[in-house]
Amino acid sequence: MNFIDLLKRIPEICKTPETLPLEGKKLILDFVTWLGSLVGIAVPPWVLTLVNILVVIVAIIAVFLIMFALMSVWERKILARAQNRYGPNRVGPWGLFQPVADGIKMLTKEDIVPRNADKVVHFIAPIVMLVPALILPVLLPYGRGMVAIDLSVGILFFFAVGAGSEVAIFLAGWSSRNKYSILGAMRAIAQMISYELPLVMSAVIVALVAGTLSPTGIVEAQGGYQFGFFPNWFVFTPWGFVACVLFYFSALAESNRSPFDLPEGESELVAGHLTEYSGFKYALFFMAEYVGMFAINGLLVTLFLGGYQAPLPFLTFIPSWCWFFIKLAFLAFSLVWVRATMPRFRIDQMMQFAWKFMLPMSFAALFSAAAWHYAGRGLLGWGISAVLVAIPYFALGYFCFTRHHSADNRRYLFSE
Amino acid sequence: MMLQVILAISAVLFCFGLLATLTRSNAIMVLIGIELMLGAGNLNFIAFWKFSTHPELLTGIMFAIFSIALAAAEAAVGLAIVIQVHRRLRSVNVNRATQLKG
Amino acid sequence: MHELFQKIIALPWDQAPQWLFLIPAFVMLMGAAAAVMLRNLIHCALCLTLSFIALGVLFMALGAEFVGFVQLLVYVGAVAMLILFAILLTPAGEVAASNNPLRNFKFSRAFAAAGGATVALLVLVSLLGAIFFSPHARAVVPPAQAAIAPVKAIGENLLNHTLLPLQATAILLTAALIGAALLAKEEKKS
Repeated sequence: MNFIDLLKRIPEICKTPETLPLEGKKLILDFVTWLGSLVGIAVPPWVLTLVNILVVIVAIIAVFLIMFALMSVWERKILARAQNRYGPNRVGPWGLFQPVADGIKMLTKEDIVPRNADKVVHFIAPIVMLVPALILPVLLPYGRGMVAIDLSVGILFFFAVGAGSEVAIFLAGWSSRNKYSILGAMRAIAQMISYELPLVMSAVIVALVAGTLSPTGIVEAQGGYQFGFFPNWFVFTPWGFVACVLFYFSALAESNRSPFDLPEGESELVAGHLTEYSGFKYALFFMAEYVGMFAINGLLVTLFLGGYQAPLPFLTFIPSWCWFFIKLAFLAFSLVWVRATMPRFRIDQMMQFAWKFMLPMSFAALFSAAAWHYAGRGLLGWGISAVLVAIPYFALGYFCFTRHHSADNRRYLFSE
Repeated sequence: MMLQVILAISAVLFCFGLLATLTRSNAIMVLIGIELMLGAGNLNFIAFWKFSTHPELLTGIMFAIFSIALAAAEAAVGLAIVIQVHRRLRSVNVNRATQLKG
Repeated sequence: MHELFQKIIALPWDQAPQWLFLIPAFVMLMGAAAAVMLRNLIHCALCLTLSFIALGVLFMALGAEFVGFVQLLVYVGAVAMLILFAILLTPAGEVAASNNPLRNFKFSRAFAAAGGATVALLVLVSLLGAIFFSPHARAVVPPAQAAIAPVKAIGENLLNHTLLPLQATAILLTAALIGAALLAKEEKKS
């Protein structure tokens, strides 16, 4: 093997976009072997394994950080359009280099630690926040055969590692010794724990029907088309639609985004647990929040939107990994749209919504999915499962939302 | 040898839990000690499962899963009791809770 | 020096990866020690969380992936958070005169600590003695299986062999949920 051969393979690889990332990884491994032969040593297998792992890690981190940078400017653009202004357009073409400017600003800011703060905990909180967020994307299948670790307990892994961000928020809030910080952190944790139940339940429903906890297996179970054109995605079933909507709103609440951004509600709590953070540490929190948001929406794509499967059979010429990112971009856009449209929840409404509406609805969806599974995927199954989610929906809507709460009825609970 | 090392680690963990339970007077620290002891028990289950002649029967794994579920229930009820005690006595010192009537 | 080098080379290095579990074990023990010794309650709870995480990793290192992730999910996500909330909700108030009869004894705290430490140490010594020196310690231990517990097998086991305990646990968890909510509920001041 020589260098010219390696170079010749590049156009070949580019001709087959479907397997481009996998072939690119092989090319890098061959390049390392060639480097070894140049020095005159046979590269030991453990070095190749190490390079293999490093390539995957670097690729995932790079892709998600680039997405974070693009998202930060894209979000401001969309918000600006929604409010009839231009948004950032000074730095670079269409303001695309705005994230670079923001990054330089963040890095050069003074890093302030409050005098009374618990210095060690204050320092490790952003790290504890960022590490789980960067670990989460490893289990998502980005394309056919493109998954960093094919865990058989992937879904469980996601929620287990995701629990780390709650600890991080507590660390940040408590160590700052600021009443707004601790109130924001308590609110955030109460919110995240409450919304974790519908989140996990709706993932459990999918695992139940797909018969596996592995994300790859779940995506495979959604392959194929009904009648030749209708994709078998779980979102296109009655129970799957309900579970998908529940998962979407729980994911919003988990990533503390509007309209669930009470923990950082500027009008009440300054900036919640982020009040005492500045400069690079604040940037780390910001980054962790966005990467975590991408990861949880990637899981939504995997669970309900068919992962890397194309929506229509004649669109399969577009490579599978493109489909994953197209769907992710669509979800990201919808998040900004929601943020531009919806006002913030009041905290007691938010808690009621989680415990009195979303949790019973997720149980109803579970029953409905079980009925669908046993009644078959024909008209009968559709009818039964649709009725099984429709009745609880209207009943819950009637009992939860038609009562008029007067101001005196409001009870101050949950760290208000 | 490996089994014995794991068991020794588990024994040390158990004794840390025992130490917390016996010496600290704060009720929450007592609960923390109990959690540590339960963790040591789970570690023993897993270790004996790994070195059993029939690991495919999954006995140790099953024990550990149930034990984790019970520990969660225990922690929830225990901490609720601690909060209630604090509401009555304005203290979570276990030496203060000496009466059976509220 | 040369001999020492030879000895190090001759060690069974190919068996090293199976001892990697000592790293999470060490972190776990350090976390547990800190959780027991530290004065600040929040620091105790945070070290306990670290210890739980390391214990979960240790389970995974021993081949029990599922239990490891359940450990992380339940302990880090729920129990640690409960403990932290409980600490914040129970601030140390004014120390009123205790009705503890031992209160007036000058060194009661020191004696209690010493007594507890002695008991814990005795238990540790007897446990370690049983592990390393009892007749059973010389029994033949089957070699560590390259054992992994597939999730499917665990699920089938749960719903076939341990169905009754599973249902009992479900009832217990429901009862614990309701009980905890009732206990922690604020009573109306009359």
